[in-house]
Amino acid sequence: MSYSLNHPSAEEPLIVGRNLTKHYRRGSETVRALDGVDLSVATGEMIAIVGPSGSGKTTLVNTVACLDAPTEGSLIINGIDTRGLSEDALVAIRRGFFGFVFQKFYLLPTLSVAENVELPLLFLRRNPSRRTTLALLETLEIASRADHLPRELSGGQMQRVAIARALIVKPKVLIADEPTGNLDSATSDSIFDLFEDLSHQGLSIMVTTHNLPLAYRASRVVTLQDGKIVKEESRKG
Amino acid sequence: MDFHRHILAFATLAGKNLLRRVVRTSLAVTGVALAVAVAVSLAGFVKGYHGAITRSIDMLGFQVMVMAKGCPYEAATMMLKGGTGLLYLPDSIYTNVATDTGVASITPVFIGVAEKEQTSIQDDGAGSFIVVSGIEVPSFTTMKPWLSFQTGTGFDGGRWFTTDTEVTKEAPENIKQEVVLGYEVAEYEQRKVGDTIALTITPSGAVSSETHEYTVAGILSRTGTQDDGTVFMPLSSAQRIFNRPSQITVVGVKLKEFSSQAIRQFEERWISLPEVQIVGLQQVKSTLLNLISTAQAMIGAVAVIAIVVAIIGVINTILMSIHERTGEIGIMKAIGASRSDIFELIWYETLALCLLGGLAGIIVAYGGSGIIEFMLRHLIELGVQGEIVVISPGIIGLSLGGTVLVGFFAGLYPAWRASSMRPLEAIRAGE
Repeated sequence: MSYSLNHPSAEEPLIVGRNLTKHYRRGSETVRALDGVDLSVATGEMIAIVGPSGSGKTTLVNTVACLDAPTEGSLIINGIDTRGLSEDALVAIRRGFFGFVFQKFYLLPTLSVAENVELPLLFLRRNPSRRTTLALLETLEIASRADHLPRELSGGQMQRVAIARALIVKPKVLIADEPTGNLDSATSDSIFDLFEDLSHQGLSIMVTTHNLPLAYRASRVVTLQDGKIVKEESRKG
Repeated sequence: MDFHRHILAFATLAGKNLLRRVVRTSLAVTGVALAVAVAVSLAGFVKGYHGAITRSIDMLGFQVMVMAKGCPYEAATMMLKGGTGLLYLPDSIYTNVATDTGVASITPVFIGVAEKEQTSIQDDGAGSFIVVSGIEVPSFTTMKPWLSFQTGTGFDGGRWFTTDTEVTKEAPENIKQEVVLGYEVAEYEQRKVGDTIALTITPSGAVSSETHEYTVAGILSRTGTQDDGTVFMPLSSAQRIFNRPSQITVVGVKLKEFSSQAIRQFEERWISLPEVQIVGLQQVKSTLLNLISTAQAMIGAVAVIAIVVAIIGVINTILMSIHERTGEIGIMKAIGASRSDIFELIWYETLALCLLGGLAGIIVAYGGSGIIEFMLRHLIELGVQGEIVVISPGIIGLSLGGTVLVGFFAGLYPAWRASSMRPLEAIRAGE
């Protein structure tokens, strides 16, 4: 059994962000978390966002994923301009288009591994297929843990479950915010191996990390500082 | 995903969330269960007691009572449950009223109180007095055609006692006099047909009591009225042993036309009789039920307070649960849950708590209704026979419906609060 993302390649970028700016008020001070960032994401591209703490990495991916609205600038997702859209409209865009992986996994403790993976399907009103779920878990090498509860898993296994949960809806873009932040180096390597495979299958990935060797496995590395892109490097091949 | 599958999936998820904190969930369910049990028991008592009073009054067989002047409600209560402080009328009143053209049937009744014979059975609830009714069988049974004799071992061969005429053919002391026992008297006193029963009576004007022995001629089937707790004997016998010759306690009347106008006209015709009052039982029933309704409103207020407290407990439980799961809710929203999905999930959790509590409360109330009835009968002088806590299917349905409705409203605020969270803020708050 195998799981295929089956993403066709496309010329048009999936995401186009122009002059993305995000200001926060912190007391009397205005924090410029993002300051005029231009970024586009193409199909099958793996982009690593790097930079020091507070440079705006998480704000950038949250903004691009419609979890946070930019103060200024425009964001076009799959051809739709997201400016001024309601929360419900943003949910509709997020659903099925983005998959999310967070540093803290956020698995529901009362659901089994398979049930956690199938959870997004409930919100998409799609019937889960246990065969598909197991095939996905097989791809992620955790099929044997399908009926286990999250507390019975290691950190690496939990992150793989979180990745499976993100992939079950066959998203076009995977957003991973510090996915290896809580993992040892061997497990982190294996997670990035997986990301590379997925990227080769046509899945676009935006991943934030502090780990530069891992970041340089991406097809593009974007370095942020004080909310601005200070360096952008592409890797050929 | 079809609708049923969707509901089932959300309900399962809600159930698993509730099971995350078993103790907290159990306490919230227990709170609702206790409140519902109180409400259902009270509703059962209200229904049962109403029914018992209505049945007791209706099964007196009379529509109107002619009796000595006094408080009409005290008089009616005395007829329902017996009592002391009885007032008497000359039996000529009966003869006079019987001539009324509006009367369909009429019967004289003498009521006295005897001391119970000492038995080996200790039964504080049964009291130490027993009501003795002197009656004329033909007219009395015309009023109460439902009276019948209990059958079975020890009961077979039951019949009414020999008539007054037959008794007085010989000297009373040479005749073994007979009585008919109500079902509960026979049960308490453990008497069968053919047994003897002793009644200790203090005749009018006498200082000391006398004990009379009677043969049990028959035992009546259970009626659920005061008749079950009464010893029936011939009217003349009762008048003799209580030393009240030619006196009666009440004249029971059934009119040809039963309407408030007919009762009023009857009253107007006989109000001139000295020391007599006419009591319409329909009016007595309404007044008694109104009095009870006031008490019931107060009891109902207690039930409402209990339910409100339980609901506050449920809301608090759900809000605590939401607070603990803020990050998870944020993640669910991030991975595709809409506001209505989160609203639905939290709302199901509240509904499940209320529904489980409601079901448990109904089971407790239904299972405990016998105990409540036993306790009420032993703690309060209820004055009516028959079942007084009746938990009907209607009450069960209403309670379940009410619980669902309360759960519906109780879940609105927590569900709205959870669904209003912005995904990113919720994820950050949960970290």
